[in-house]
Amino acid sequence: MPLLKCGYLTYEELRALRAVPSDARYAKGPVAVIECVQEIPCNPCETSCPSRAICVGDPIVNLPCLAEEQCTGCGMCVAKCPGMAIFVVDKAYSDTTATVGFPYEYFPLPEEGAAVTAVDRAGQPVCGGTVVRVMNPKAFDHTPVVTVEIPKAFADEVRGIERGTC
Amino acid sequence: MLEREIVVVGAGPAGLSAAIEAAGAGARVLCIDLNMRPGGQLFKQIHKFFGSSAHRSGTRGIDIGRMMLDEAEDKGVELWLGSTVIGLFPGNKVGVRHGQDGTAGAFVTVHAQKIIVAAGASENVVRFDGWTTPGVMGAGAAQTMVNVNHVKPGRRVVMLGSGNVGLIVSYQLMQAGCEVAALVEAAPKIGGYAVHAAKIARAGVPIYTSHTIKRVVPDESGRVCRVVIVGLDDAFQEIPGTEREIEADTVAIGAGLKPTTELLALLKCDFTFHPVWGRVPLHNRDMETSQEGVYIAGDTTGVEEANTALEEGRIAGISAAAALGYLSEDEAKARKDEIWARLAALRMGPFGEKREQAKQDILSAFDESRGGLAAV
Amino acid sequence: MERYDDEIIVCRCEEITAGEIRQAIREGARDVTGVKRRVRAGMGLCQGRTCEKLVQQILCSELGLRPNQVGASSPRPPVRPIAFGELADGEVV
Repeated sequence: MPLLKCGYLTYEELRALRAVPSDARYAKGPVAVIECVQEIPCNPCETSCPSRAICVGDPIVNLPCLAEEQCTGCGMCVAKCPGMAIFVVDKAYSDTTATVGFPYEYFPLPEEGAAVTAVDRAGQPVCGGTVVRVMNPKAFDHTPVVTVEIPKAFADEVRGIERGTC
Repeated sequence: MLEREIVVVGAGPAGLSAAIEAAGAGARVLCIDLNMRPGGQLFKQIHKFFGSSAHRSGTRGIDIGRMMLDEAEDKGVELWLGSTVIGLFPGNKVGVRHGQDGTAGAFVTVHAQKIIVAAGASENVVRFDGWTTPGVMGAGAAQTMVNVNHVKPGRRVVMLGSGNVGLIVSYQLMQAGCEVAALVEAAPKIGGYAVHAAKIARAGVPIYTSHTIKRVVPDESGRVCRVVIVGLDDAFQEIPGTEREIEADTVAIGAGLKPTTELLALLKCDFTFHPVWGRVPLHNRDMETSQEGVYIAGDTTGVEEANTALEEGRIAGISAAAALGYLSEDEAKARKDEIWARLAALRMGPFGEKREQAKQDILSAFDESRGGLAAV
Repeated sequence: MERYDDEIIVCRCEEITAGEIRQAIREGARDVTGVKRRVRAGMGLCQGRTCEKLVQQILCSELGLRPNQVGASSPRPPVRPIAFGELADGEVV
């Protein structure tokens, strides 16, 4: 499995391993994409979700599952997931662009409006993007969630930004 | 000779939780740690913990450490810091170099009715040409430098080992502003949690599985300046011609940990060799060793992670307090059963199963050695 | 491979190389204690905390043994360094 060889999955491989939001749900706006594929004992995504959209249940090694209609894309689970394995993707952001929200625990924090280079799961540059939101409330406990606007075609690829480019 | 009801060796997650439980039940507890600051690995763990809400998951280790210190103080746990237990002697005597200010110390002997050893573990090294070169260090040491001492170990780091320690420390080195030039793993696949690997892959760190460090080349000052890695075949033999040179000034080795058990060997506790954990002391479901009144918890019993250390510490603390009469047998049993159930949940899944089996093996080996419930 | 490996230090406290440990094995050492008695590997400041595993690995590969067959160091007090002055001033029971 490439995940265990090089540390990351492609979106297709991810889809083969676990559920991702349906196209219909993506079309409605921001939704959590959970990229947690190993059964490890962990459930903060479940307990942190204000909409009770994520279920881990008993035993806590279950993979989290998402009730996609209940998810509001608020980003709480993105900040809470100790594995930093949850993203918020909004494919309905505009006609041509989507946004991807991801946890970002590096300095310097990018500023809203900054032009950035968006990278994929392997850290490779994919496209240019613009930072549209940096959320860093106390409840996120020092895990800011950065949201970048990128061309819609790359919404399933982009999962971060190059560091130090902002 | 000083008298204490319970002496806990080590104020890391296991030792502190043992001390908190025992003191909470009413016992007079002295907890001894060789560092100037208690908390063990917790204060290096700036990341959010896995686990369930019972384990304060989603909370950073450093914050869990702070909560535990407050709790230990509330419960009246006596803490000796900068103090080293240099030996345990027959008759439950604890020999301590009692630190005064971190430099001078005085030797004192403490008689303890019960002893709990939560001494943690030490880092394994890997032998390659140049492993004693300045700039080569344990991954845990690099983590202490950035997260406790706020000093960067170097500018550009090669990490050897893809267990959770190697993965997490790579991430934290980048957070501190170091560059991670490569992560090298001898096995054909990544050892730690995929989510930790994904985090550093996303940051652009190349991951070389089936590779090891062949040689470290020093500069004129004698410090690491280049690292030569080499590919390995299925039998872990070097593949000629696959050498690759990486510019780096630091090598961090995350090659696993070895339980710290010297004190238990001094007391002639029964040991076993387990393929998962190596040489470890036997213990029962009270976390008591073959020596009556001597308990163990955490990495000393076999290396796991902070949550299991916290839980085992609780069991040891409850058992010791119950043996002193501070808890009724029924109450102690009910609480221990609850904790064993939580431990079983933590030891599920692809990463936990091996450890659950190892724990069961050790518990049965203890029973067999007692001539009690021999394997049927 | 072996010749260049022979130069590598295994016990850094006592500065004992892999070659010296192999020599101790050729002279009859069969476990960690046997190596320690012949060449002092593991008798320094850290008392083998760092090199014990490396010595075990060499014993295993030279003798074709499993890790549980090559023994472990026998700890003795003090398991951590203490100054003679501190010991002398102390209350030893």
